[in-house]
Amino acid sequence: MDAAAEPVPERRWRRFADVVALTLGVNVWLSLVVVPSVQVDALGSAKLPLLLAPLLVLALGIALRSELVLLGGFPSTLLLPISLTPSIAAAHLFGPVRFFVVAFGVVAYLLAGSFFMAFHEPAEPRSSRPLASAAEPRAARWQRRERTYWLLTGLSVVCPLLGIYWVNYDPAINAFLAQMYSGRVASMSTLLNVAVLALWLIIYLYVFLGVLKPHRTGDRELVTTLAEMRRQARGGRPRLHFHIAVAAALALMAVLVLMRRG
Amino acid sequence: MRRYFFEVLALALIGGSMFFFKESIDYLARRDYVASLIVMLIGFAVITVGKEMARLALVQRD
Repeated sequence: MDAAAEPVPERRWRRFADVVALTLGVNVWLSLVVVPSVQVDALGSAKLPLLLAPLLVLALGIALRSELVLLGGFPSTLLLPISLTPSIAAAHLFGPVRFFVVAFGVVAYLLAGSFFMAFHEPAEPRSSRPLASAAEPRAARWQRRERTYWLLTGLSVVCPLLGIYWVNYDPAINAFLAQMYSGRVASMSTLLNVAVLALWLIIYLYVFLGVLKPHRTGDRELVTTLAEMRRQARGGRPRLHFHIAVAAALALMAVLVLMRRG
Repeated sequence: MRRYFFEVLALALIGGSMFFFKESIDYLARRDYVASLIVMLIGFAVITVGKEMARLALVQRD
């Protein structure tokens, strides 16, 4: 029997990934759903199945080792009890410090789940030898890429957190909600949180993934575009855009001056 | 030398375009929508010129 066709034995890192996902997932479930539910007394028998649903989805995701279930299904199911009892996610229950602690737990779950589930260990090679290029320092373009990836990862965490923090803890927004939606502040806060998350998802899909997609295909399109730009730039003269922009700026300023005088 | 000239010019133009966007917001607050739109377009035009200057600075660097 060919050694390459032999099944790779289950590795310890797989079990480690499962334990990490389970521990961090349960932490998120407890801190985001169970503890606030206890605080607002929303643990009635009718709502209990909804409270337990995220845990079942988490267990299913770990059993199937499915990234889709763990990173998409589980966080979405966490929103079910919150949508029925918006006061679970009320800002006054959390406070800024607890908000950041819970947010840290959510981010840790998502990053760890994403990292460990995507980790595939190849079969042990029969022999190995180092490549000549391995001894050379990393190329500047790879260092640039890595910096960009770290920057995007950091922004992926900071942007939604700041959005949610702003919606929930900004004194001006709180005062406005209290004035305009008296008695429905928790519902409106939940709606604003969902709006922030939806906006963030749209930005992520079109801006962040938009940047990463060309990298995935080896920068072919980007390299072509850059080569075209370099070819145009060799002349060292401004392009047509420059002249149009200068003319437009001057014309619009003239229009503005005429409007003010008129 | 030309490279630094272009870089300073690019920075000044891109930074200066922020003034127009701020003015645009001020006009909006005063409900002067036409003036706000015009000033915003001026801002876009100035930032485009700054972008071209940055491109020329990059060419000088190469």
